Amino acid sequence: MPTALPTMRRNWLVTIRAYPWTYFVGTVATGVLTVGLAYLAFHAIGGGQVSAVFLADGGTSDYLGYVTVGAAALMFATRMVLWVAKAQITEQREGTLESQLLAPARRLPYLVGVGLQAFTTTVAEVAVMLAFAVAIGVRLPAPDPLALLCAVAAAGVAVFGVSVPLSAIMISVGEAHITQNTLFVGMALLCGFTFPPASLPDPLRWLGEALPLTSGLRALRGATLHHETVGAILPDLLLCAGLGVAYLAAGLRLLGPAERTAVRRGGAA
Amino acid sequence: MSAGIVIERLTKTFPPPRRVFGKRRPAPAPAVDGLSLTIPAGAVTGLLGLNGAGKTTTIKMLATLLRPTSGSATVDGLDVVRDAREVRRRINLIAGGERMVYARMTGRENLWYFGQLYDVPRATLHRRIGELLDLVGLTDAAGTLVERYSRGMRQRLSIARGLINSPAYLLLDEPTLGLDAPIARDLRAVVADLAAGGVGVLLTSHYLAEVEQLCRYVHVIDRGALVAEGSPAELTAGTRLPHTVELTLTDPAPDATKAVDALAARAGAEVWHDTDIDGRPRVTLRHPDDLAGELTTTVVRAGGAIARVEVSPPTLEDAILAMAAR
Repeated sequence: MPTALPTMRRNWLVTIRAYPWTYFVGTVATGVLTVGLAYLAFHAIGGGQVSAVFLADGGTSDYLGYVTVGAAALMFATRMVLWVAKAQITEQREGTLESQLLAPARRLPYLVGVGLQAFTTTVAEVAVMLAFAVAIGVRLPAPDPLALLCAVAAAGVAVFGVSVPLSAIMISVGEAHITQNTLFVGMALLCGFTFPPASLPDPLRWLGEALPLTSGLRALRGATLHHETVGAILPDLLLCAGLGVAYLAAGLRLLGPAERTAVRRGGAA
Repeated sequence: MSAGIVIERLTKTFPPPRRVFGKRRPAPAPAVDGLSLTIPAGAVTGLLGLNGAGKTTTIKMLATLLRPTSGSATVDGLDVVRDAREVRRRINLIAGGERMVYARMTGRENLWYFGQLYDVPRATLHRRIGELLDLVGLTDAAGTLVERYSRGMRQRLSIARGLINSPAYLLLDEPTLGLDAPIARDLRAVVADLAAGGVGVLLTSHYLAEVEQLCRYVHVIDRGALVAEGSPAELTAGTRLPHTVELTLTDPAPDATKAVDALAARAGAEVWHDTDIDGRPRVTLRHPDDLAGELTTTVVRAGGAIARVEVSPPTLEDAILAMAAR
């Protein structure tokens, strides 16, 4: 890892010196609001009960636990994407992309380094959101530790994989906001973060299955809400990680031409 | 394996800008058009041309940042497309302007990070960082965040970054842009030392005096194609631009004036007479050859007393401007 660890250290140095508080507040606030509103709706509108439809589609009567895991996963996904997918366009904006590309270092370890730093930061931020959920009375059952670890790892691979083609698109078109928000809207709608994907029309449900986060979220919920073992969630783990690797492979193929497009366009993105 | 950077019929055509509606625009003219040249090790080679001539595109292809549309470029026999990663170990690029380094890291941290990207061994890197900071005069500011650096300091750090991998070939694209005169002079000395130590340097610069001072050989390109090449002296001589000889007499000397006019008529030189700021007679002669010797001899033989002679040979800048005007 001759490039990954120095890149991780570099990002730590920069993050400590200029921590993006606005991003932190925005992301944590979104997670907190999602859980808070779900709490209010569950007690004030649902009377503390879930419908038979939710029970059938979501596979649980623990609505708050369902939403809390989903909100934590959404927060994890958006933060990781913001760090990893935007790494290169940030380099482009700061004028360092060409000095990066000049070096013989490969792109994958560079992005892994960004991802490792992002992972540690994001886990801390998700912990803040989960602490809020616990404070308002959400009780999550003790998960199977190994299953949870595997689910988090698979979700990490998935989010990292999705971020790489997104990075290529961003530097190629020289734009980040529309690109990232299109993905975020798609993820929030299709992956089942706050409601069961079974509630969606079939075409959208299948579209959601093409995103690795859908299976990753099923694995996470299985490990946390249902105390399932690794064996029980293995199909979802494999699907999630497999799709993540496929997105990663596609992204790495796209990166080279995208980088040359960015160099050709020159200047700031 | 051929040593040096060898460019053969290198061409780069950029795709036309995309349109959402309407017909696709026709392909623009090539930015680099069949360029062939060689950059040897151990010498500074100039690449000159006006804005838009294709200098930066050529340098970016050599730096593996862009791919040629056709033709080839090799670095010590390694193809810049096929063997891009190995080429990157042997080259580096320093571009003008203060970017290419991280603002929220210190100078030392920047060099450490880039050293890691080039896989410089740890023990070597530590020593090299110290040497480079010393070389660019940033030792005292090594622990300061780059965002607090002045423009010149950032550019100096960028130069140190470009040397972190001890490149065998250095591509310099306007390296002294924005630098104070003493720093620019120091950089020229560094470049000359690097070349003397065996590094092959390709230099583009708008400061043609810099090119004239540093480059053993110069390639001039226009609209992506090679239009002239040679040493700065050969290029200047090749344009047949006039030398200007300005001779000031101590006192008016009508015989000398007549003799000078006769010389000018015989040689086909432009001549004009005026007085200098002290009111002394002055004659100016312009001719592709240096007529200073003949002029002084003529004046002395005609009884004139010379106060001052100044010869202005044509510069590389004059030559480039003349080529551009053709």
